[in-house]
Amino acid sequence: MTGPEALDALRDRFPGLRAHPPDSAPGAVVEPDALRSHLLNLRDQLRFDFLVFVAGLDRPAQSQMELVYRLFSWETKISVALRVLLPRDAARVDTVCDIYRAAEWHERETAEMFGIEFAGHPDPRKLLLPDDIEGHPLRKDFTHPNMIRLPEVE
Amino acid sequence: MNGIDQDSLLLRMPGGQVLVSSLDRMINASRSNSLWTLTFGLACCAIEMMATGASTYDWARFGFEVPSASPRRADMMILAGTVVRKMVPIIRTLYEQMPEPKYVIAMGSCAISGGPYVYDSYTIVRGMEEIVPVDVYIPGCPPRPEALLHGLMTLQDRIKGQSVKKTGVDA
Repeated sequence: MTGPEALDALRDRFPGLRAHPPDSAPGAVVEPDALRSHLLNLRDQLRFDFLVFVAGLDRPAQSQMELVYRLFSWETKISVALRVLLPRDAARVDTVCDIYRAAEWHERETAEMFGIEFAGHPDPRKLLLPDDIEGHPLRKDFTHPNMIRLPEVE
Repeated sequence: MNGIDQDSLLLRMPGGQVLVSSLDRMINASRSNSLWTLTFGLACCAIEMMATGASTYDWARFGFEVPSASPRRADMMILAGTVVRKMVPIIRTLYEQMPEPKYVIAMGSCAISGGPYVYDSYTIVRGMEEIVPVDVYIPGCPPRPEALLHGLMTLQDRIKGQSVKKTGVDA
């Protein structure tokens, strides 16, 4: 499979596929329930053999959490980003560790930093944070007793 | 000098003051000119520390010959870098494993105060004196090797003011 063929196949699969900003990897929003089947399909049929990262975004204004699964194919040299929108107060999605082993630590980090639950994760311990920390530091409304706010400068 | 009753040993001798002074000078010269550093770096300041130990600056010229890989035979610990709360028990353990007399140098803004991470951080430790007693502070972000050498020599000077009759360096 070549790069242009892979891009065409991606556009067939995801009608809403677009790169935003234009020079970034093309991305598409998928339903949380369909995420696993999409990833399986991309891995096995479109040769996306490399999960670059799993990352979270917090959108308190929209009461949404967003997950980004960035994939890359060493065969076609194409990148794609799958985005999943989750409700902020019940952010939960199935793990993809069994599809991409690389997701294991990424999901652990995203879970502790954003408070997103990855159902079925084989090792759901904290990755970076101390075990006794309360809250999720990368949520926009996170506060901690040790934090000192940066004073406003006129 | 553990296990020796300093006062009775020294004061019983005629002209004891001269002997104490010479003994101090000898012990302090030995200690200050052979300070083994704990091989321990925390963040980017550790890169400058390594540069100071390498051939261009070569702190071995001033008696910091051996980077000790074990805290049990280290005389001095250079806290070179940012300390987060998760690191605190590890630093405490290393410090407590070092034999007396032991010295601590806080190198760089982070080790002094938290540096650029003072604000909006849930995990920063704002200054090493919260964890271990610090003998010498070296400002900079990071300090140049010359500054570290100056700090090391400052520590040597302070060790030379010690007396076996009284532990610790004087302020």
